Amino acid sequence: MAETGKSARFRLGVDVGGTHTDLVLLDSATGETRVEKVSSTPGNPSEGVLEGVRRFLAKGVAPEDISFFAHGTTITTNALLEMRGARVGLMITQGYNAVQETQNQARDGNPFDYFYDRPTPIAPQSRTREIPERTDYAGNVLVPLDEDAVREGAKALDAAGVDAVAVCYMFSYMNPAHEARTRAIINEVAPRLHVSLSSDVLPRIREWPRLSTTLVNAYLAPVLTRYIRDLSQGLDGLGVKTPQRFLMQSNGGVMPFAAAVTGEKTVHTLLSGPAAGAQAAAWVARASAGAGLVTLDMGGTSADIAFIEDGVPLEVTEGAVARRQVDVPALDMTTISAGGGSIARVAPGGFLTVGPESAGAQPGPACYGRGGEQPTVTDADIACGYLNPDYFLGGAQKLDVAAAERALDTQIAKPLGLSVREAATGIRRIVDERMADEVRVFAAKRGLEPRAFTLLPFGGAGAVHAAAVAEELGIARILVPPRPGAFSALGLLCSDVVHDYIRSELSPLSRLAPEHAEELFTELESRARADLASEGLADADARLEREMDLRYAGQGYELRVSLEGIGAMNAAALAAARARFDEHHARIHGHAAAEKPVEVVSYRVRARVAVPKYKARELPAHSGAAPAPKGKRQVWFDATRATEVPVFERDAIRRGGKVTGPAIVEQMDATTIIPADWDGEVDAFGNLILTYRGPAR
Amino acid sequence: MIDPVTVEILRNKVAGLTDEMHYHFYRSGYSTIIRESRDFSCVVLDAEGRLITAPPMFFHGTVYRHFCARVLATHGDTLAPGDVFVSNHPYDAGLPHVSDMGFVAPVFSGKRLIGFSGSIAHKADVGGTMPGSTSANATEIFHEGLLLPPVRIRAAGKPCPDIERLILANSRQPELVAGDIGAQVAATCMGVARMEELAERFGADTVCEAFAAILKGAADELATAIAELPEGSASAEGFMDTDGVELERMIRMAVIVTVKNGRVLFDFSNSDAQAKGPINLRPSMVEACCFYSLIGCLGPDIHFNDGCRDVVDFKYAPDTITNATAPAPVSSYQMANLKLVDVILEALSHFRPERAVANAGSSGALLINWGKGGRPGQSNLQYEILGSAYGGGFGHDGASCTATHLSNLHVTPIEILESEYPVRVTSFELVPDSGGAGEFRGGLAFRRAYELLADGTVIRRYDRAKCPPQGVDGGKAGRASRFVIKVGTPDERVTPASGRFEMKAGDRLYLESAGGGGYGDPAKRAQERIARDIAEGYVTADAAKRDYGK
Repeated sequence: MAETGKSARFRLGVDVGGTHTDLVLLDSATGETRVEKVSSTPGNPSEGVLEGVRRFLAKGVAPEDISFFAHGTTITTNALLEMRGARVGLMITQGYNAVQETQNQARDGNPFDYFYDRPTPIAPQSRTREIPERTDYAGNVLVPLDEDAVREGAKALDAAGVDAVAVCYMFSYMNPAHEARTRAIINEVAPRLHVSLSSDVLPRIREWPRLSTTLVNAYLAPVLTRYIRDLSQGLDGLGVKTPQRFLMQSNGGVMPFAAAVTGEKTVHTLLSGPAAGAQAAAWVARASAGAGLVTLDMGGTSADIAFIEDGVPLEVTEGAVARRQVDVPALDMTTISAGGGSIARVAPGGFLTVGPESAGAQPGPACYGRGGEQPTVTDADIACGYLNPDYFLGGAQKLDVAAAERALDTQIAKPLGLSVREAATGIRRIVDERMADEVRVFAAKRGLEPRAFTLLPFGGAGAVHAAAVAEELGIARILVPPRPGAFSALGLLCSDVVHDYIRSELSPLSRLAPEHAEELFTELESRARADLASEGLADADARLEREMDLRYAGQGYELRVSLEGIGAMNAAALAAARARFDEHHARIHGHAAAEKPVEVVSYRVRARVAVPKYKARELPAHSGAAPAPKGKRQVWFDATRATEVPVFERDAIRRGGKVTGPAIVEQMDATTIIPADWDGEVDAFGNLILTYRGPAR
Repeated sequence: MIDPVTVEILRNKVAGLTDEMHYHFYRSGYSTIIRESRDFSCVVLDAEGRLITAPPMFFHGTVYRHFCARVLATHGDTLAPGDVFVSNHPYDAGLPHVSDMGFVAPVFSGKRLIGFSGSIAHKADVGGTMPGSTSANATEIFHEGLLLPPVRIRAAGKPCPDIERLILANSRQPELVAGDIGAQVAATCMGVARMEELAERFGADTVCEAFAAILKGAADELATAIAELPEGSASAEGFMDTDGVELERMIRMAVIVTVKNGRVLFDFSNSDAQAKGPINLRPSMVEACCFYSLIGCLGPDIHFNDGCRDVVDFKYAPDTITNATAPAPVSSYQMANLKLVDVILEALSHFRPERAVANAGSSGALLINWGKGGRPGQSNLQYEILGSAYGGGFGHDGASCTATHLSNLHVTPIEILESEYPVRVTSFELVPDSGGAGEFRGGLAFRRAYELLADGTVIRRYDRAKCPPQGVDGGKAGRASRFVIKVGTPDERVTPASGRFEMKAGDRLYLESAGGGGYGDPAKRAQERIARDIAEGYVTADAAKRDYGK
């Protein structure tokens, strides 16, 4: 276990979102959790974090009792989206300046738009230095490194005012010597510059994805380093002195702040935010054994969907963030523009569309009364009676029903000849069906059958829409966690330290010497141990997992195959790896080709250090007597008639307490809609479980 | 009357289900061309064979209407649930070339025909004189491979193995083709099953009404955009280097666009007579070029489906390059498509000057057959698709080093090439000054240089060497493409854009794609843009003086 502090009473998870910063404080003695929600401070997100911590301290938590701090942040994502990163210079092999212009040659975005632009280059040609050097595919040096050119380049880039330099030479994953020497020279000539080497960041074959990932790392490293230093000082200032400080990564594991400030792994934090929610779901899945989960994190602008199979979220190793290719492991999620703020409009051709534009937090939905005139999903929800205008965020924000209905009427109902209720229920149906369609297609692409899964909604709007989405998918079970609005922050208390290492070397598997493969893995493992040691994590606790990226000869992409249980490399181990690859290929792509030659493309090692996890506290047994509703309200499940529906307070439903739909369950951070044909029951851990009891579909 | 909410829900469902069909096919597709290039499409059509939503491989979108019309004409009386039809016929069914095999299957609700599910995908080989069934110097469609008019490959749910045997007997790659046919039939049948589910859940009437509303919505959307255009006529023409057979003759493509009474007419009567070589187009491809250009010009967010045909007309003269008559060969249609798009866009720019754009640099292929000289355990066939650049446009410099218009394929990474084949890519560089000068500059081309480490046969297929991408509204042409062999020897020479060369280990060659044409008078180019071009190395100081007077 990584935790070494003496007083280990509280563990704190802090998730910074676009609108709110959520904090979950776990009392490890009692298993109790406390939640705080403060406004995010986008200008300097650490202010919001520290404000949240101060609130706990004000309520009597002693700072020295906080022994663990884990953080999910969108700081790097936002810096990339808003182009607020460092000024970056680039060094490449002489003669290859078209790599960064061509990228992968294909266009992203609308294929009809011949006024196409690539994203603004992170390092333009004017800050690119071409260095005489060249290595071949086997790692042999063809042209030695021109050290004078590096020296001169470093001086010129320094003079041009860059903050960081990315270095990406051809075939550096086969032989990193030239890049390593380049770093040494830059450090000597211009020690203030951050340096990202492609052979450190992503020693993987294919020049453009490696260059792109390295550029993004260099672009964001100074941003993250500064942020983590500020935050660390702030925590120190509040007396929260624990050295156990961790940052969530895209791969669903955390890294120590000590690793974050080096700037070497910055690119691994780009999907830190959404990863935390999926980790929390994975933890729930492991706790309620056997359940496959599909998560629906519906917030203000979008809904994130992820699948958890056998307690583990699915992963990808390639992706684009803000149109930048970033090929490091990340949890496999899909995002659609379906959030509470998604705008409904009558599109050309007379179609009623919902999203992709969002009203965001400013001006927000019409019902926020901040000048928004476009009707949104939240406006439709309020016009249907799903939301309580006086109990939004526990009553902290009043919603204007009349404004919502006015927007629906003028923008949608009148132009299409509908009633306001028809417009509202129509918008809801469109958005619910779109989320269901997205889940269905996402599942089909991964060979999964959604009916076998439990739906886990969270985020502010997830549980409002979950039942309709589940019905559409034929899902019969929904698990609403105790605090859907702070679920992501909980995920921070459920995650191990994880570091990923990769090294490409393309060769036919049949010609691979096992001892050479063993050597490559051993090198990666020593790197992992060295990193962990420098982060103060005893290597005795580390678990090192080996993987290979394999493909059939001639394929343009590879599959990641775990070598767990296969042991040291020998002929039998390679045969076993190949058999696993065939099996995996059949599962993902529908067929295998056992007779075809297989190539190994890359070697991977994942280092995992266990961190003490949140354990859900079992609620005291209770008679399970039917809870009493706190009131009733009119709900339009369909446009033709209103139904009078009982409303319950979430905390008033004790363990074993049952609610029969139609019903509404309200709490400070979320609303759960239980339609007719569904029953709700609170389980031993405070989850609200909805079960379909309607006719078979 | 159907309500707009149900229409939108079904519209999303059709998009989701075609996405699912695509992935299902991709997942089970066997040959590399499908896996790697995704050269295929899956669609949903109404009972008359009208396309409901456009596939990502856009230029397949206009084919299905022709294919289905032919199925209805020849088999309409005997259509039954469980039927699947196959065709690859460019003349009988409008398929792009014989390598593209199309499948359509009728969908029934009870006895009522409610639509079709369809797919088109490239096949590794369907016979003909050249492996791969695309010969750059074919002179008859019969040289290009087996021709299949629309015939059943499944009848009422039962396979028709004789047809499949016939196809496979004509292929040099029967195993690959058999695997792909299996995958394609499965994806098509999956589309049928999903459409039946929609009919069951929403009712056949509702589904058919929704299809009609989706078609009408697209027609209305396009009509609204057309209504903004001034009435009148405008013409444009352009040339391809050669048809691949008559090497000295350039090929002319011409269009007159007329906007009148809320409709657009594309008249291709003045195009050259059909060519001897395989760059001829069938109307299905010409329509794809027209709709692609029209939507790009009017507003890239317009949704295409066959409803759009309600406001657009086409006119052709017989036996022309844009309306070839059998047995003219068609296998190099994509190069012709990319030229035709330039021509159509130039004519359209007169109606919407703010979307004017100069010629793009098209797309080319480089193939090296290493024979027995390949790396042990690796394939001996190296195949790359290489892009070019966009032309400059109104208020917009053209993008550099990119796939253009109807083409959108990935470049093969150098590190993959060198790891798999006995080749070294000795440089991959921007070509300064290759973008046509203009107030808005054309995009830059790239130069890619190779050293062969073993003997090999090099085949280059491209255009734009004799006829470089033209500028518009006073913009200059982009730099012409080049293919240079025997580099650094006394035999060094520039070749025509397409050719086949036997090379030895140690030989060096390089290719340059064409730069995009420029838009507008170069003298009007903003000083800060010129300064930036020079700083970034896009334009040399000498060229800036020469072309921009700065």
